[in-house]
Amino acid sequence: MTRVSLTINGKPHQFDGDGEMPLLWHLREDAGLKGTKFGCGIGACGACTVHIDGAAVRSCSVSMNTLEGADIVTIEGLADGARLHAVQEAWIAEDVAQCGYCQAGQIMAAAAFLKDYPDPTDEDIAENITNLCRCGTYVRIRKAIKRAAQSLQTA
Amino acid sequence: MNTHISRRSFLKSAAATGALVIAVGASPRLLSAAELNSERLPALLWLDKNGNVILGVPVPDMGQGTHTLAAQIIAGEMDIDLSNVRVELMDFVGKTNEKGIAAFGHLHQGAGGSMTAMLQWDPLRQTAAYTRSLLVEAAAKRWNADAGSLSTRDGAVVNPASGTTIGYGDLVKDIGDGAAPAKWEDVPLKPLAANKVVGKDQPNLVAPDIVTGKPIFGIDQEVPGMLNAVIRRCPHVKGDLVRFDASKAEKMPGVRAVIPLPRLPEDKAERRFIAASVAVLADTLWQARKAADALEIEWDGKYGVETDSKLLQEKAISLLDGAEMTETVAQGDVEAALKGAAKTIEATYSYPHWAHACMEPQNCIVDIRPDSAEIWVGNQFMDEAINAVVYACDLKAEAITAHFYRLGTAFGRKAEHDFLREACLLSKQVGKPVKVTWFREDEMEQDYYNPMGAYRLRGGVDGKGRPVAMHMRGTSDARAALYATQEIPFGLIPNYKGEWQQLPSDVSNGAWRGPGSNTRAWVTQAFLNELAHAGGRDPLDFLLDLFSSQSKVEMKNWPNLTLGLSRYVTALKTVEKASGYRTPLPRGRGRGVAIFTTHHSLCAHVVEVEMKGETDFRVIKVTSAIDCGLAVNPLGVRAQVESGIVDGLCAAKYGNMVFERGVPVTNNFDTYRKLRMDEAPLEIDVHILDFGDTSPRGTGETSLPPFIPALTNAIFAASGKRIRKLPIMEAL
Repeated sequence: MTRVSLTINGKPHQFDGDGEMPLLWHLREDAGLKGTKFGCGIGACGACTVHIDGAAVRSCSVSMNTLEGADIVTIEGLADGARLHAVQEAWIAEDVAQCGYCQAGQIMAAAAFLKDYPDPTDEDIAENITNLCRCGTYVRIRKAIKRAAQSLQTA
Repeated sequence: MNTHISRRSFLKSAAATGALVIAVGASPRLLSAAELNSERLPALLWLDKNGNVILGVPVPDMGQGTHTLAAQIIAGEMDIDLSNVRVELMDFVGKTNEKGIAAFGHLHQGAGGSMTAMLQWDPLRQTAAYTRSLLVEAAAKRWNADAGSLSTRDGAVVNPASGTTIGYGDLVKDIGDGAAPAKWEDVPLKPLAANKVVGKDQPNLVAPDIVTGKPIFGIDQEVPGMLNAVIRRCPHVKGDLVRFDASKAEKMPGVRAVIPLPRLPEDKAERRFIAASVAVLADTLWQARKAADALEIEWDGKYGVETDSKLLQEKAISLLDGAEMTETVAQGDVEAALKGAAKTIEATYSYPHWAHACMEPQNCIVDIRPDSAEIWVGNQFMDEAINAVVYACDLKAEAITAHFYRLGTAFGRKAEHDFLREACLLSKQVGKPVKVTWFREDEMEQDYYNPMGAYRLRGGVDGKGRPVAMHMRGTSDARAALYATQEIPFGLIPNYKGEWQQLPSDVSNGAWRGPGSNTRAWVTQAFLNELAHAGGRDPLDFLLDLFSSQSKVEMKNWPNLTLGLSRYVTALKTVEKASGYRTPLPRGRGRGVAIFTTHHSLCAHVVEVEMKGETDFRVIKVTSAIDCGLAVNPLGVRAQVESGIVDGLCAAKYGNMVFERGVPVTNNFDTYRKLRMDEAPLEIDVHILDFGDTSPRGTGETSLPPFIPALTNAIFAASGKRIRKLPIMEAL
């Protein structure tokens, strides 16, 4: 039994359980946060991307016992109350989602990416956005990231 | 917006608020209060006193945009703003037939064959028109006016003579129970020119739920008291369970049961339906996963060792070399024509198995009780999902309550019974609801794959570069090769022969986006490109001539349409112009063209690639023209074309499901490579052709098949390398 104190979406949170459990399963199965998705379990697809201390991380590959004091943000906590994050708004405006399953991970990856690349080029996006989408929405994701970048810069 | 209020609960509120409730279908009708209180309800549209519509959508959405399309059809026909339409996936409203099996009733409730738009168009439109007519009649009564003199606009009935309007919501209470409304047969449908919603770009209505992570997928569901199952399945395609030791697993926290399941069918001569397995049932998914990993299992792997990708490929080639094959189509005299041809060519094409790699792995919750059952699942076909339980538990369909959810892609894989069957067997044994969640390795190892195939083609052109003969021999481990050998250009080349033989294999095959078409478009359109070059013709000119040589051609393959070829010419000229086809490209770049009809629709592409050294390439631009009939949502049509292009690029470049001695060895995204952002086309330019058609046709599976030959033709133009074997990355 491992005890971990952390923050999830701005609220203090205590974990008591198997320290080897990946964060993904704690979020989905214990914390009821179903927006973070399972895709591969080996950190290869990015469907489970969340923010840990502001960085995009694939939550299927992070054990709970490494998260003492960590600040976790999931897709459910990305918006500021009713006001959507610029990336979420851009995703709607560019009509990115088809099935939508990978998109929470894509959005979390893009939101973290834009902090490091506020004015990204196609090459920056190609190098840093590595999440899988089986509907093949990449062309629209690229446009949405650029749209979000613009709106974050003018905000 | 997508909502998940149960239908029962909003019906209660409908009854309480006196909403107008219409049975959805090609023959819609107003429901009485008594019917609303009955146990089995038809599909519904309801209109509340505020003028809001809630619509049950008949077909599950797996990314093809069903919900948005349905809302558009309703809003456009009813003259209401889309923001006043809420859609949710309706329950199964079919019937139980005399054998106890679920069958579709008046609505088709399966997502497959790119039929959703085609099959929803009439019933939804008729339902909306009928609802509008009830409102117009009610307004006419109030105003004591002739209903024929009234019109509708922005959610209100308008009296042009007086300039007065009444909102739909205000009229709801006038349309009481027992009223004798107009017959739906007499209700005129709105002319398309007057429809303000159909034909306009409409973003995905479910997007707000998607971007905020709402629990809308099957995998997000939970029910009280359920156990989570993680199943260790036999990896050998024909293997079985010898023994297992669960002593460690049984002692682990949360574990409630360890249950072996037999391979089905038991006869190993038949292809696998479900694998022999050992299931761990625990309180949480993680507990079940950990305990399943602690199981010690011995599999019997001595069967099916000849199921080996390399061996299958060799067998396929040897069939092409020597086997007596069955003739599929024949026209003219191929041998004589080849002898008389100015130039002849011969080529061998082959492609491996592809896995589906659905983003959301298979999952479901099943609760089997003594005389009934309840399921929670994302499945492409509602009838099939219910029948999986019928067959597993010997229950009648009417005893099964089914809840359906959005699917995180499906591509044909989630029309199958296997994952539901596993959950049925487990729930029956433990007497509790059981959630089965597949992991990625299960999803790839236990797939029903796109069949592999190989072809030997011979062809000849005359002195003017016109094709005079073609001979196609094919083999595949499903019937795909049969269909390939009778595909167009059969019917367009005067001397033609097709032959096929099935390749014996133990690999389970199934529908994979554009079944059959996904690979036969490549083989036929790539070989036509070779013939064009053999005759010294530009490939696009060659195709223009070929499709201008007669006015129509009969498809030998489903859906067996008679194709008017002037549309081919329009599509080719559209992509020629829009892609700048005649503009010279720098060294290392090239363009390829292909055109193909499948799933009731036609699509042409010009693909422009740039070589990256000798062994890699980048797709710079794809220019597409699609004829899919009426584009109800052009934005959605473009999304589907883009999706097919990226999926086709991904499958052609990397798709290679490898079996070694009876075991699938590519089983996650580290070994089964999929395309990512860095390789996606830089630009996709989609042109939707308008021939004045008044109803929609297929979209989701139409753009992928012709993309692959356009791509390999482009690689040839850029590099001089002819790709005749997929995946491309192993052929370059």
